[in-house]
Amino acid sequence: MSRERRGTLAPGDDPREILELEPNATDEDIRAAYLQKVKEHPPERSPEAFERIRDAYELLRDPRRRALCFLLSVDAMGPLVSLVADRVGKRQFVGPGPWLDVLREK
Amino acid sequence: MQQWAVWAEEVERLLEQGKSKPAVELAKVAHKHTASAASEALLVKAYAARIRALVQAGLNEEAKALLALVGQRYSRFKEALAGIGFILHAGTSLDDFLRPFADPDLPQDRRAEIETVIRRELTDLGPLAQSAVLPATHPLRLAATKLEQAFRAVTTGPVSDDALSLTEISHQSPLAPWKSLVRAIASFYRGDDRACERWLEQVAADSAPARLVPALSVMLAKPSKQPLKPAAIRLTTQIVGEASSVRASLEALDRAFVGGKPKRIARHIEKAVAAVKTSCPDLVERLKQHIAVRAYVSDRRALAAIPDGYRKDAHFWHLLARLTELLERDFTLEACSLWEQFRKHAVAQGLFAEDGPEIAALYLHMAEILEQSSPEELARERPAFEDRFPGYLKYYSDQPADIRRAGARQDPEACYFLYPELLYARACAIDPDPEIFRQWLHWARRSEDWHVSDRAAQSWRRALPKDGRPLLHLMESAEKRGALKKALGYLEEAEALDRLNPEVRRARLRLLTANAVRHLSQNKVHLVELDAAALEALPQAGEVNRPAFPAALRWASGVLHNNRQEALHYSAQVAALLESRAAATVTLANLADMAGFRSAANGFLGSDISGEKIAEAVARACALGEDLGLKFVVPSEWDEKILDELRERRLEVGTRQLCLLAEAALRAGRRELAFAACGAGLAKGGPTEARFLLLRGQALPEWEFSRRDECFIAAAELARRQRDMDLAEEAVELLRTYSRQGSTFLRWAAHREPRSFSMSSEEVQKILERERKASKLPVLSPDKPAPDYGSGRWNEEIEEENEEENEEEEDDSFAAMNFKELTQFLFELAKRIVGPRDPDGTPGKRHRPSSRGPRSLF
Repeated sequence: MSRERRGTLAPGDDPREILELEPNATDEDIRAAYLQKVKEHPPERSPEAFERIRDAYELLRDPRRRALCFLLSVDAMGPLVSLVADRVGKRQFVGPGPWLDVLREK
Repeated sequence: MQQWAVWAEEVERLLEQGKSKPAVELAKVAHKHTASAASEALLVKAYAARIRALVQAGLNEEAKALLALVGQRYSRFKEALAGIGFILHAGTSLDDFLRPFADPDLPQDRRAEIETVIRRELTDLGPLAQSAVLPATHPLRLAATKLEQAFRAVTTGPVSDDALSLTEISHQSPLAPWKSLVRAIASFYRGDDRACERWLEQVAADSAPARLVPALSVMLAKPSKQPLKPAAIRLTTQIVGEASSVRASLEALDRAFVGGKPKRIARHIEKAVAAVKTSCPDLVERLKQHIAVRAYVSDRRALAAIPDGYRKDAHFWHLLARLTELLERDFTLEACSLWEQFRKHAVAQGLFAEDGPEIAALYLHMAEILEQSSPEELARERPAFEDRFPGYLKYYSDQPADIRRAGARQDPEACYFLYPELLYARACAIDPDPEIFRQWLHWARRSEDWHVSDRAAQSWRRALPKDGRPLLHLMESAEKRGALKKALGYLEEAEALDRLNPEVRRARLRLLTANAVRHLSQNKVHLVELDAAALEALPQAGEVNRPAFPAALRWASGVLHNNRQEALHYSAQVAALLESRAAATVTLANLADMAGFRSAANGFLGSDISGEKIAEAVARACALGEDLGLKFVVPSEWDEKILDELRERRLEVGTRQLCLLAEAALRAGRRELAFAACGAGLAKGGPTEARFLLLRGQALPEWEFSRRDECFIAAAELARRQRDMDLAEEAVELLRTYSRQGSTFLRWAAHREPRSFSMSSEEVQKILERERKASKLPVLSPDKPAPDYGSGRWNEEIEEENEEENEEEEDDSFAAMNFKELTQFLFELAKRIVGPRDPDGTPGKRHRPSSRGPRSLF
């Protein structure tokens, strides 16, 4: 639909996810996340990852493109389970009992 | 005794064949008549087989009852039945089951059977590790002890890799799945989800530890194929919190929507909402909105199952708008109306400022949605939509006051969201960026009404007065409609901004030329000398063949003054400047044609062109015309000579000039000449091949629709590869234009609207090769078989609608065919419908068009 240039990013790719940004990230947050990611994936070592990071940053740095990215971000027909995708908490150790209960349950 | 042997043999045979029921019946008969220890053992064996068969058939209760009966009646076979009892959890102790395992002489098949039961049924390692019937040094007991310790460790706290080497357990061990499970759990707690998944893949699917795989998958946020059982839900809840049980309920709802059964959907909606309310209350509203939108497209009855309704705020409209725009092109107007609702709520909720960049982006997005239709299509569809569009007020009756208020806000420009022009204007008002203006103008140029594009350019000019691009558009627009004074005014403004801009420089030359031609046509001969002088005064006037044009103007003045001497003088001057009498003749004749004094000029053109290379000369004249913005036409009386020269293909003419020659021939409707010029151009190869293919396509006769489309697609593909996007766009536009033009019959026959504008390199090369080789314009002849261009995949489908649309249009191109052409056309068409000929020359299998949906002629 959109003529927006997305470079290496596929239509379903969320640039915020690539830069690990919160939805309400500011310009400074976006730049800081970009620099951090480039440090982790420098172009000489991982050129593909770097290109994705750069394209994600290009999409987010301009307020108009960022807004367009937001408009296109919702997935009305995606699985409902994706609503809780980021709700996994810390993994608690519970001892062998509850695990064995699952094994015993026919 | 002899009878017993027969019975025993038969029972064994039945058991081998898996026929346990008749085996039991026969063993009962044998035991009743024989009543020996051997017959009793045979009967118990048959019963054991029967019980296993019942288990395999899923009849566990029946199997348990039979086992209990057999165990009670034949108690001395308790040990033999222990394995089966273990399978059924029927109270048989593990020690009874394992006792034979301690025997070093246990037959291999019996050992394998016990190991299988352990692998499949052992759900707790503790009893095996502490089993009194196996010696403490028994490998199975040792393995169980180690694994039991490891399992306890990984489920209780962090464990290092060293503690999980577990070298005692081999791949063949019945406890090997436990080893994989222990490592999967350790990886899971370490946060190494990929390793966890890898270990889980190694847990044998039929083993007892595999029962933990679904729960672990859910905790890894992977979709589970089956709903989790209560113990698994408890486990996941304890480990990762409520989100995992919420996930399970949402997955169940997703599956219910796929299944499409209303009652099931309603039940799962209630469950999912309740689960989310308990563990993630902040997500309840969002979930209900997603469910509602899903219900809108799948089954609206599900809306009633959403507890306490749902809020129709910005997020709801956002979802609905996005969904609608992705549905079908037919819903573009609806999609824009939904985006407008989203805008109202987003502003009311403070998500965006009313004049923020987000709203500008939204306006642009809506304009892009509308751009899927041409301005004329939109103008046709809009009134019907506006008439029947009731707004969305009725959707707010159950909504809180704040949402009702936001949704009810009316924009002063009602239905503005259906007009790209208004959307662009709003976007530009918020964010006056040249790129947005450029998009607006690009859209507006598609309109047949010049006012639309001029309004866009004027807005651009007002907002960004230092940008010369809108002025250039306004100038060209005025020039096209002959408003030369206005065009010159815009040009002066553009020159004031950037005199060195190449487009501005070319425009000055072009406009002065057009002005001079107009003066000639208005018989204002006294102004011609001034025009010629003005042209000569331009800094760029001395370039290439340009000095010939002021001389041509003076020649025209001489002709119109009937001053033969002056006319002949300037005629010779033009020939000298162009280094060709033929080029001079073409230039002067075209000037006389344009200014409307051709008949008066006939005696002053000169005719001695002997020894000249006509094609080259005409191409040179066409290049001059192009440079000055004049579209020259090739004299028809020279066609044969030019064609001969072009076919020899030993020309000195450059590809640019050949292009111009082909274009001039096309303008004059002389396909044969254009065809030959393209052939000469294609023979030269190089980067202009795409342009020549495009021209070749236009030169082909109308009935060669397949071949023409192939030329256009190949041209578009080549242009794309050369990054010449303007040419690629031109090719695609031509393809579309030709598909819309022409007769109803031809449109149907050519079954236009190709599905793809792409082509492989091999296909492009094939088409280039074919067009290079083609030396003559195809002519219609019923005696000659038509070339088979019908194998292309671009014409594989024809839509039923094509037959019906525009039935009342006049069939001009069809009517224009003479009888011979018509015969050949029908021959080609019949060939397409009947299909290619079989090797023996008989027509191929006829492809009957289906009365439903897309159909193929091939």
